[in-house]
Formats: sequence, structure tokens, C-alpha cells
Amino acid sequence: MFEILEHTADVGIRVRAATLPELFEQAALALQAVVLDASRVRALETYPLSAEGEDDPALLVNFLSDVLFLLDARRTAFAGVKVEHLDQHSVRAHAAGEPRDAARHPPRVIVKGVTYHQFRLDRTPDGWLAEVFLDI
Amino acid sequence: MRTDVVVYASESLLEQIRHDLSLQQAVNVAMLPGVVGPSLAMPDIHQGYGFPIGGVAATDWNHGVVSPGGVGFDINCGVRSVTTTLAREEVRPKLAELVNQVFRDIPCGAGSEGSFRLTSKQLDEVLSQGARWMVEQGFGDARDLEFCEAEGCLSEADPAAVSARAKERGLPQLGTLGSGNHFLEIQYVEEIHDSDAARAMGLHLDQIVVLIHCGSRGLGHQVCTDYLAQMGAAMKKYGITLPDRQLACVPIQSEEGQAYLAAMRASANFAWANRQGILHLLRGSFRKLFGKSVRLDLIYDVCHNIAKRETHTIDGRKCDVLVHRKGATRAFPPGHREVPKAYRQVGQPVLIPGSMGTASWILVGAEGAMKETFGSVCHGAGRVMSRTAARKGADAKQVAKRLEEKGIIIRSETREGIIEEIPEAYKDVDAVIEVVHQAGLARKVARLRPIGVIKG
Repeated sequence: MFEILEHTADVGIRVRAATLPELFEQAALALQAVVLDASRVRALETYPLSAEGEDDPALLVNFLSDVLFLLDARRTAFAGVKVEHLDQHSVRAHAAGEPRDAARHPPRVIVKGVTYHQFRLDRTPDGWLAEVFLDI
Repeated sequence: MRTDVVVYASESLLEQIRHDLSLQQAVNVAMLPGVVGPSLAMPDIHQGYGFPIGGVAATDWNHGVVSPGGVGFDINCGVRSVTTTLAREEVRPKLAELVNQVFRDIPCGAGSEGSFRLTSKQLDEVLSQGARWMVEQGFGDARDLEFCEAEGCLSEADPAAVSARAKERGLPQLGTLGSGNHFLEIQYVEEIHDSDAARAMGLHLDQIVVLIHCGSRGLGHQVCTDYLAQMGAAMKKYGITLPDRQLACVPIQSEEGQAYLAAMRASANFAWANRQGILHLLRGSFRKLFGKSVRLDLIYDVCHNIAKRETHTIDGRKCDVLVHRKGATRAFPPGHREVPKAYRQVGQPVLIPGSMGTASWILVGAEGAMKETFGSVCHGAGRVMSRTAARKGADAKQVAKRLEEKGIIIRSETREGIIEEIPEAYKDVDAVIEVVHQAGLARKVARLRPIGVIKG
């Protein structure tokens, strides 16, 4: 579950999930929702995602940077993301999607980068909560 | 804090500034190891990530740190302005046609690909040579380099310090405008405040001028991402702890620091090549409508997201420093050797875009900037309203109509491109300019009004 957050110059995402792997998956979808309208993306091919980090915040930021690369450089949209492996310093996942098509997946905003600005990654009674701000 | 924070603002601007985290961010910047002189906040300051946008800080070249957040994701986001040999009255009857032509000729928006096709080897040449490479290929002339900050190329750039990912992102994007707050504006000169400086720049009343605002596109964004990740991991090694993780930094005199600077310079060179490419396309658009004799001459090109090694005098001592300008523009005074000869008597042109549909300003650097702000001033109007807030109750068609009623035609790739950039979302650019003028950092030369806006 995710929502978009207010910020003077940029955009943030707030993500909630029951488990940490699910949080990573939802965060990827939230980032994509800022970039484009994903309501008509088909899961035609799979694309690998991976990242390393010295701690959980770095892992999430670096993972989202990898997602951003897939969206922006590889021009790919995805219907879903599945985390295959997550430990203290690395994450591996795959996205199921298709090449981006401006007509089927209308672009919203170009995201320049994923930041640590006002970053949150906390345990909650129901699982996990993350807030990440994006430079646009 | 290792040093003070100095804020340049009026009372009313300060009221707006207090509403976000920008002052706290300026305080955090004052804690950077090796910081020299104060942490500076320009009157257009607003909340960024790590550094505030509109922030300037210098660190000792030998003992201080470099922080990619002090440059930004969009390395060498900047502005170039060109004069034309056309007057407002000549362009008015063909304005819609001109805006449409420019919109067709200059790719903008998400996924846009440029018409300058490069091989990998050529991209490396662009990263080393910047705008100079474009001119040598026939996409401009020597004058375009003379009237550009750093002559459109930072030496000691290293293409090998730029990752394969960054190059993959940059390869198809040369000669594209991007989106968000990047835009191209067709303007006319409404007011002249300094006739000597205006004359030196070839400016006169009612003249059509074009402003281009964009940066290093996906290449620069990726370079910043790559090095932030690397530095985040390396900070422990150097025993650096800071209140804000986005201020990730390493010693300038470290392997990581030197690699980042080499990659940053390469990205800056890409941005200058990009703006040169866009200027080339723009010249084509104007010639299609107004004939081959129309001239577009570069007034100047400034970067406002960059870190540069410079010498500044602090407390009577000459200091070798790295000046981080994050949403801030260099403003060198008359007599400085880096100011082009044609402007040496008046000072370096400072190009300040306002928000869409308001006003832009051209100023010249003054001695006050060199004494107080490492030769720096603001870069624009600065946001006051989030994009979400701007979208509430705003309709792209209505905004476009409101602009048309003011005589401004806008073409944008996306609805968001229009709504999020409404003038109410920004500080009053005139108020921002008044502060830097009154503070003696830069002198007003001309005020320009838009008549056509193209954005992604």
C-alpha cells in the first residue's frame, strides 16, 4: 500500500507493508506510480533487479535507484515486483512487465534520483513503514 | 556548527523561507568538515536534499570534503540566453507558428531522444570536451564557447569515472530539454536598468531573447546516484558523521573524492554540449520561420548546480577552495579574468529565470559577491508550494488559458508540466532579485517577459 507525499520541490512516497520484502515491492510500485500511469501494464517479460547497501536504508535507496534505472534508462514499465532474496546487505528481485509505451503508459514526471531526505524506514505494529523523497 | 550561516533575504521572503527546512539544511551544511567561510543561503532558498536549493558552501581544497548533494542530481543544470535580431512586433504575428516549430524541433519530456546520434567513443569525447566538441562538429561557432562559463568545458573530466549506466542513460539524450522545471522561453526585453551592460550584451528594448534552462539529463542524474551510494558506504572509512545522510561526502583528496569530481566535470561537459545542441536546433527553428539572415547570439551560459575549484580571499588570505553552488549562480565582478573580454568592464552576466509566465532577469556580477558569497548569487525564483498543492484545484487548460490572456503561448508534453509550474508555486522573482541587487552581489541589467514557453 502506498501514497504520494507533499514536499516543496519534490515528491515523496509513503509505503506500508506487513514484511520487509513486501515493503520493497510496494516501494517499487510507488516509485513507478510517480513516473507513469501503470494501470495498463502487461506482465509480458521479466527483468532482474538487485542492489547492495551497508544497511537497510542504503539497501532500499539503492534498490529504488535500480528500479528507476529500469524505468528511465531501460524504458520498462512493470505490472508487479517480486523480491527473491533479501538480507542485511543485498536484495534480488524481478519485475514482470513490458517496454514502455507513452500511449498505454502515459508518463507523469521524470524522477532524477532517490534521496535520503527525511527518509524513514520503521517497524510498526502492523509491519513496516517507509517514506522516501524523490528529486524531480 | 563549524561556521555561521548567512542568509540573504528580505523580511517577507524570510517569512516564506521559515516554512520549510531550508534554514536547518543550511545549518547542517555548516557542519561539513573543512568548510571555509560561512554556509550561505540565497534569497530564493528552499528545501532541497542535504544542501538547500539556493545554498553555497566552500570547503578547503586540501583538507575539506566534497558533497555530491552540494551539486545536485542535475549536474550543471543551468541557463543560456541568446539575443535575436528580431523585435517583438516582428514575431507577434508568427508566435504560435514559432512556438509550435520549436516544440517540434527540440525534443522534451520523458523518453525523448535527441537527434544527435553518438557512438560510445563520441560520447566519451563529449564528456571530455563539452560544448567544444559540438562546435567542432559544426553545431555552433567559436563565439558560443567564448560566451559560456568555463568556455563550455571543465578540464580534468574523466569519462572513465562515469559509469556504464550513466552513459547508457545519456547516449540517446543529447539535445533534449527534459521536463519538470526545465523549459525554453521566448521572451522580449521589457526594461533596461543598466544601459552600458545592456549594450555590451547586445540587448535593447522589445528585442526577442530566448532562454534555455536544462542540465545533464539522465547521465548527470545517474552519476550523482552512483557516487552518493559509493560515498555513503565510504564515509565510515574517513570517520565522517553528519546530521543528514543526504550530505554524504568524502575528503576531496581521496580516491572517491577525485573520482566524483572527475565524473562531475564530465557530466557538466555533457550538459554544456546539451545546451549547445539545443541552441543549434533553435537556430534552425528560427531560420525556418524568419529566413537565413536571422541571428541568434549567445549572451552567456551559466551553471547553477556545480562544484568548482576557485581561489577566494577570506579574512585577507587567499584560499584554494571547492565552491559548491547548489541552485546558485556564479557572479564574477568587472575585471575578473574569467569574465569574457566583451564584458570585462561590466561584469559576468547572471541569467535568472523566473517561473513560467512571470519574468526573468539578466544581471551582472558585482564586487560584493566576490567579497561575501564566493562570487555567487541566487539562481531563480525558488518554489514555495509543493507540486501536490499546485495540482489541487488547478486545471492545465485553465492555466494555459490564463497565460494566453497575458499574451503567452505554452506548449508542454504533459499536463503536469503546466500545472505544477504555476507562478503561485514560486517566490516573487522581482523580490529575490531586489535582495541581491540591494546587497551589492549583482546589478540589475534587464527584465524580460515571456511570450512563448516550451516544456516537457
